[in-house]
Amino acid sequence: MNAELQSILALVIVAIAATALVVRLVKKRKNPGCGGECACPTDDLKVRIRRG
Amino acid sequence: MALPAHISPAATPAASSRTPTYAVVGNPNCGKSTLFNALTGLKQKVGNYPGVTVEKKVGTTYSQHGQPITVIDLPGTYSLAARSPDEAVTRDVLLGRRADTPMPDRILCILDATNLERNLYLLHQILDLGRPVIVVLNMMDLAAQAGLNIRVARLEHELGVPVIPCEAVHGKGLVELRVAMSRLEVPLARHAWDVPAAIAPAVSELQASLVANDGKSPLIARAEALLLLTDQDSVRVAGSVPLHAKTHEILQAWQKRWEGEGTDWAATLVNSRYDAIGTIAAEVVLAAGETGPTRSDKIDAVVTHPIWGWAILGAIMTAMFVSIFTLAEYPMNFIDEHVAALADFVKSSMAEGDLRDLITDGAIAGVGGVIIFLPQILILFFFIGLLESTGYMARAAFIMDRLMSRVGLNGKSFIPLLSSYACAIPGIMATRTIEQPKDRLVTILVAPLMSCSARLPVYLLMIAALVPGDRVPVMTKVGIMLAMYALGTFGAFGFAWLFKRTLLRGAPPLMIMELPPYHFPRFRDVLLHMVERGWIFLRRAGTVILAISIVLWFLSAYPKFPDATASEQLAQSFAGRAGHVLEPVIEPLGFNWQVGIGLISSFAAREVFVSTMGVVFNAESDEEDTTPLRDAMLNAQWPDGSPLFTPLTCISLMVFYVFAMQCISTIAIVRRETNSWRWPLFQIGYMTGTAWIVSFIVYQAGRALGFQ
Repeated sequence: MNAELQSILALVIVAIAATALVVRLVKKRKNPGCGGECACPTDDLKVRIRRG
Repeated sequence: MALPAHISPAATPAASSRTPTYAVVGNPNCGKSTLFNALTGLKQKVGNYPGVTVEKKVGTTYSQHGQPITVIDLPGTYSLAARSPDEAVTRDVLLGRRADTPMPDRILCILDATNLERNLYLLHQILDLGRPVIVVLNMMDLAAQAGLNIRVARLEHELGVPVIPCEAVHGKGLVELRVAMSRLEVPLARHAWDVPAAIAPAVSELQASLVANDGKSPLIARAEALLLLTDQDSVRVAGSVPLHAKTHEILQAWQKRWEGEGTDWAATLVNSRYDAIGTIAAEVVLAAGETGPTRSDKIDAVVTHPIWGWAILGAIMTAMFVSIFTLAEYPMNFIDEHVAALADFVKSSMAEGDLRDLITDGAIAGVGGVIIFLPQILILFFFIGLLESTGYMARAAFIMDRLMSRVGLNGKSFIPLLSSYACAIPGIMATRTIEQPKDRLVTILVAPLMSCSARLPVYLLMIAALVPGDRVPVMTKVGIMLAMYALGTFGAFGFAWLFKRTLLRGAPPLMIMELPPYHFPRFRDVLLHMVERGWIFLRRAGTVILAISIVLWFLSAYPKFPDATASEQLAQSFAGRAGHVLEPVIEPLGFNWQVGIGLISSFAAREVFVSTMGVVFNAESDEEDTTPLRDAMLNAQWPDGSPLFTPLTCISLMVFYVFAMQCISTIAIVRRETNSWRWPLFQIGYMTGTAWIVSFIVYQAGRALGFQ
């Protein structure tokens, strides 16, 4: 893989990562906070709660 | 016993085709979440201390016929007269006040068999609701150990509802419970309770108004009427439908009349209820004579001793950190070697170029720098799980209470603070158990000062740089780690003291803390908790930290300067320029622009500092082989050639992280819990300001004293 193609692929990956971070930051959560990354309800449980 | 007038044996809602819903209620720490997990197969956090559940949790179990049953786990409460936000959740769900939760069809009321009389108070109020109730008599084994003989059949007869003896921790009684839950009809309570004559007319009048004007069913209206007379908050609950003006008028008229007569209506109602409960308890509980102190009492005599208690707490903390440093060494080396080998493999397999650099200097260096700490995170959570499971955490709160009361907090604040050692977010959520809004706010404001697990990788990296090599005794590292934890803890107490005397003045609250009996730890729960936390850590490393590392690689590699060395390239990159902008502010703390990049990026989460250092020092390296992060940091220099990471700089950096509010998730949760941006912004300001000032003092005073 030549250097030019590597640069293009690397920039595409960077753009995807940056977009994912921005989306994560601005996404409106029903329960803002850790997003289930602590001891609070997991995503699966949140779905159940919403259905409940 | 005659059926009370307010209860009619109507068909239970579960007989309909809809999935029946059971609400699990009970006093704090009576085993609700353990039973909920056993029934639903979910892994809700359980702990042997009150206040673990602060929100409702929903799961599904199946009847003996395979039909789904919805189960809602509600926060523990001693009474329906709620005193804190978590208790209000339970009351409002049971009374059908929550728009997001339909009123449960049936109620599973869990009673702690070792303390039946106290637990019967809540059950007595629940029976007033006139809904189908199944009583679960939990901890029967502990009751037997305490010399209590509980006549289950007699209790069932007195109450008129099914009573299932159970040991949820050991899974005993669950089959019988599932059979009881599977019944199409659950009988309604037959318990009779005569409302005192002085109060009865008011109850009837309020009940009639609640039916006519507030649209309540007659059964719920009676329970609501009784609650309105004992729970002032019930009148003005946030989020619930306000009372109709007519009902409010009736309530005020009666209260005015009783005040004129000198009648304490709330006490009259409560005493009357206790009389009824006392009668039931006397019939049901047979104590095997005068029993001596229990095993828990004997252990507590030592563990909560004013001197020995502190010594044991210190020994436990020391043992935890010694384990973190010693046991984790081999798996850490294993991960470290494999991460380096992976990076070298990629370097040797791919041609030079940006993609190769992104993979090695960005993704592998960033994520690898963080996952190396997985063994230590697992050991930390194993210990935390073990202490929670045995019941020691409540004792730790008890020991700390004397200190806490001096700063204006009590044991109820200490449980959220203890939870914050794992992560500030569940700690802040756990403040819902605190009754006084000002005490709750003070606890929320200081909880992020407790050293959470995200700080652990930062401390470990700094300690590795501070005391490199194997010749340093492990106790030196343990001592530094303990000092950081102590600094965070005493910092939290200091600020609580300050806030209670300035912004949030209030009387020091009384300590009301239940010490649960000791349990032999359930290793399955402890290991599950540990694995879950480890998985969360890895998931963060594979998502957020990976994405940040990739973006950071770009910021440290662009714009390109083809003729520049690696160091010059980094210095002139986007990240380098941002670091240089921050450098004048952080230079008095002993940090340069490279550390500045880490401080900026770790605002997302503290452990991102480690991955950032991995990316920054890998990007700066001209070497073809991957250098371990610690060595790269030790080789880092100021422009004059002096080492960047001196012992003093490392301590200054650790102290900065003890106090700094570097966590977006915590900011979001404080915003939610305080319902305003004012407090999280204040928190960012006071914590970051303190971090800067204390680091400045440490660094400058250290230099003045001749330290490097």
